[in-house]
Amino acid sequence: MAGAIIENMSTKKLVIVGVILVLFQVFSFMVGGLIAPSPTTAVPYLATKCVDSVHHNEKSTKWFTPWGPNQCHKIRDFEEATVKKIEANNIVFAVHIPGPKIEMSPWFQFMLVVLQFEIAFKMYNQIDDGAVVTIDVGLAYRDDTFSDWTELAHSVEQRKLSCNFTAVKTFENEGRYYDCNLLPFMELGSVAHKYYLINIRLPVSERKKTNVGIGEIKDIRLVSIHQNGGFTKVWFAMKTFLTPSIFIIMVWYWRRITMMTRPPVLLEKVIFALGISMTFINIPVEWFSIGFNWTWMLLFGDIRQGIFYAMLLSFWIIFCGEHLMDHTERNNFSVYWKQVGPIAFGSFCLFIFDMCERGVQLKNPFFSIWASDVGTELAMAFIVVAGICACLYFLFLCFMVFQVFRNISGKRSSLPAMTKARRLHYEGLIFRFKFLMLVTLACAAVGSMFPFIISFVNEGHWHWGEHTVQVNSAFFTGMYGMWNLYVFTLMFLYAPSHKRYGDEQSLHLHLQHFIRRPYPERLTISSYMDSPPLEQFRVKCLAQGHNGGI
Amino acid sequence: RRLVQSRRSLMMVCLCFMGIMRYLAKLSSLGSISEEETCEKLRGLIQRQVQICKRNLEVMDAVRRGAQLAIDECQFQFRSRRWNCSTLETVPVFGKVVTQGTREAAFVYAISAASVAFAVTRACSSGELEKCGCDRNVHGFSPEGFQWSGCSDNIAYGVAFSQSFVDVRERSKGQSSNRALMNLHNNEAGRKAILSNMRVECKCHGVSGSCELKTCWKAMPPFRKVGNIIKEKFDGATEVEQRKVGTTKVLVPRNSQFKPHTDEDLVYLDPSPDFCDHDPRTPGMLGTAGRQCNKTSKAIDGCELMCCGRGFHTEEVEVVDRCSCKFHWCCYVKCKQCRKTVEMHTCR
Repeated sequence: MAGAIIENMSTKKLVIVGVILVLFQVFSFMVGGLIAPSPTTAVPYLATKCVDSVHHNEKSTKWFTPWGPNQCHKIRDFEEATVKKIEANNIVFAVHIPGPKIEMSPWFQFMLVVLQFEIAFKMYNQIDDGAVVTIDVGLAYRDDTFSDWTELAHSVEQRKLSCNFTAVKTFENEGRYYDCNLLPFMELGSVAHKYYLINIRLPVSERKKTNVGIGEIKDIRLVSIHQNGGFTKVWFAMKTFLTPSIFIIMVWYWRRITMMTRPPVLLEKVIFALGISMTFINIPVEWFSIGFNWTWMLLFGDIRQGIFYAMLLSFWIIFCGEHLMDHTERNNFSVYWKQVGPIAFGSFCLFIFDMCERGVQLKNPFFSIWASDVGTELAMAFIVVAGICACLYFLFLCFMVFQVFRNISGKRSSLPAMTKARRLHYEGLIFRFKFLMLVTLACAAVGSMFPFIISFVNEGHWHWGEHTVQVNSAFFTGMYGMWNLYVFTLMFLYAPSHKRYGDEQSLHLHLQHFIRRPYPERLTISSYMDSPPLEQFRVKCLAQGHNGGI
Repeated sequence: RRLVQSRRSLMMVCLCFMGIMRYLAKLSSLGSISEEETCEKLRGLIQRQVQICKRNLEVMDAVRRGAQLAIDECQFQFRSRRWNCSTLETVPVFGKVVTQGTREAAFVYAISAASVAFAVTRACSSGELEKCGCDRNVHGFSPEGFQWSGCSDNIAYGVAFSQSFVDVRERSKGQSSNRALMNLHNNEAGRKAILSNMRVECKCHGVSGSCELKTCWKAMPPFRKVGNIIKEKFDGATEVEQRKVGTTKVLVPRNSQFKPHTDEDLVYLDPSPDFCDHDPRTPGMLGTAGRQCNKTSKAIDGCELMCCGRGFHTEEVEVVDRCSCKFHWCCYVKCKQCRKTVEMHTCR
C-alpha cells in the first residue's frame, strides 16, 4: 500500500477533489430534501364492525367489506349489538386498505400495519393483568373493484395487551379510555395488489379462557405504514446512478492493483471488498419488485445492509491495524480475528434475529417474535449479544486508534532525526491515517447530527422560501450518498499511485533506507506535485525484510 | 330584570345551535341522510348550511353522530351541576338573533364544533367519506398524488369541515356582532382542544426493526378527554367585551388586569343565571327541583348548593344492582342481582 494517490497528490488537487465530493454530498441531500416526498406515510384506519349473521359452513370463508358495493351489515357501536343480541363471536372487524377512490401500488415496496385497541374503563370489567388477546385474522386482496376477494394469509395470533389507566379507577372515570400500546400486527414485503382487506375476529371461549378479561373493547384502530411512491422513485434513480459510478471506480481500482508486480496487500483487498459490498447494496434489484411479487425483498435489503456495515466495521479495524507503525508483521486477515470476530458474531446474531422475524413473515405476515414470551426473550438475547459485540468492537477500535496516535506522537519526535525517505514514508502514513480519521469522523458527525436536527423540525419538514424541505428524506438520501462517496473516495485516494511509471528519468534516488513491511520489495516513487519540479522529486526505495537505519 | 333577560338568552343560544344538533341526532331513527331533500327538511339549518349539506351528503351522517356525541359529552360533563344540559330534551325553539352569551353557551359551542370535527375525522378513517384526506394534498386529489406522497391527515379535513359547516352560521350574521365573535372564538377553541392534544405515535421499522427508520403519525385523543379539556376551559373562561381596535372589532377581557385569553380559552359576554328555578317562559329552564344531590359534598353537586338553599327530601330506596358479573369484550354480561338500600336526596 505504498505510495497511495492521496500522498502523491498536491494539496490543490486534494482540495479540488474535496470540493467536488462536498458538492456531490450536498446534491444527494438536496435530491432527498427537495424532490422526494417524506420517506413513509402512515394511514390511520378505524375498523368497521360487521355482523356475521349467517352461519355458513366452516369451509367457505366469507369476506366482509366495510364499504362500497356488497358491504357488510354494520353496527355503529356495541350498545346496538347488545340490544340486537349479537354475540362477540359474530362480530368481524373489517378494514379496507386503502381508503375509497385510491389504490395501492408496487412502488410502496412494503406495508406494515400496527394495531391499537380502544378499550373503555369499566369498574366491573377491567383488563386483567397480563391479558392476552387472541385474534383470528384474515388478509385478502383483489385487483379490481368487482371481483371476489382472494385469501392471502390467515392466522390465529396472540398479542399481549399492555394498557394502563392513567386516571383513578373509580366510577367517576368510567368511560375513559385506557392508554394501550401499539401492537405489531402485520408486515408485507411487497405491495403487489391494489386493494387489501383485513378481517379480524376476537373469538371468545370461556372454556379455553380465550379473550376473557380484556375489558370493554370499543374500537380497533389500525395504522398502515408504507414507503411513499415518490420516495421509492427517487431512491431507485439514485441507486441506478450510483451503481455504475462505484462499479467503474472499483474496476479502475482493481486494475491498478493488478498492474503492479507485487500481490495486493491486505488493506487493498479490504478496500476492494468494501467496494463490492457497496455495489451489492447499490445494484437496483428493487426494480424487479415493481413487476414481480417478491416478498423477500425486505429481508434481502436487510442482509445487504448488514453485509455492508460488517465490512465497514472490519475495514476500520484493519485500517488502524495496518497503520500501527509498531514494526510487527500483519498484512494477514487472521491477525485480526480478535477484532473482526465480534463483528462477525454480532452480525450473525442480528441475521438470525432477522430471519426469525422477517424470514417467518414471508410465510405468515402476522407473525411477530415479540408477541410470545419465549420469542421476546430470544429476540432480546440476540440483540443483547449483538450489543455486547458492538461494545467490544468499539473498545477494540478506540484502543487501536489510541495506539496509533501514541505511535504517531512517538514518531513525530523522532521525525527530524530521520533520513528523508524514511521521514517521508512515515509522514505519508500519518497523513493517510489522519485523513481517513478526519473523513470518518466527519461522516459519523453528519450521521449522528441529523437525527438530532430532525427532532427539532416539526413533522419532518420545514419551509424554505417556496420549497418544502423533507428533512427525513434528505437524511436518507444524504446518508446513502455519503457512504457511497466515502467508499468512492477510499478507492480513489487509497489506490496505488501510478507516478512510478513515468518518473524513471527524474532520479534523485535516495536508496539509503529500508524498512519493514507492509511495503513490498519494489521501487516506489512519490512525487509532491505542489513543490517546485525536478530537484524536489523524491524517490523512495523501500524494501521489505530489512531493518531501517543503514 | 337583567337576570331574566340573560337567562332567556342563554336558553335561546343553546337551543339555537344545539337544537339543530339535537334534531340531527334524532334523525338517526329515521335512517341515513341520503337525499338532498332531507337537507331542506332539516329544521334550523340556515340556507348556507343547507347548501353545504346538499354538497356533502355523505358527511352529514358523521355530523349527526357528532351532534349526539356533543350532547352525551355535555350531559356527562355537567351531570352534577345545576344546569345539566338536559334542557335540550325539549322541542327546539329558535329565537331571534341572540345578542348575549354565557359561559354555558361558550361550552356548548366549543363542544359542538369539536364533536363535528371529531366525528368527521373518524368517518374518514373508517372509509365512509370519499373525499377526505386526499383532496387536501399539495399534489391535488388524484391517485398519482396518493402514490407519490400519500394523503394529508384526516384531522385536517375534519377540522376544515367543522369550520365551514358550523362557523358559517356565525359568519352569515356578519363579523360585527359580538355574539358572532364570541361564538366563532369558542368554536375555534373547541377544535383547538382536539388539535393541540393530538397524540404522536411512532413505529420503528428499520433493519431488524431498529429505529433507523421511524414513522410517526398523530392520533386524536378520545372524546372524553376532549370533553374534559373543554370543561376545564369552561371553568377558567374569560369574561370579555367588544372593543374596536382600528377598524376591526375584537373581544378583550372585561377586567383589564386579567391576562388576555388565548385561542384555546373559552370566552363569554354575560354572567350566567343561577339556574335555580323553573321558568315556564324559557323553554328548557327546568330549575333544580327534583334533582338528586349529594348530602356530604360541599361542591356544586352537594345538596346545599344544588338545591339553592330550598332544602331537600331524603328517602330510602331499594336499588337492584348488578354484582359478580361475567363480561365478554362485547355485548354479553351475566350478572347476579344484588339488592341494597341507599339514601337518596332530591331537591325540593
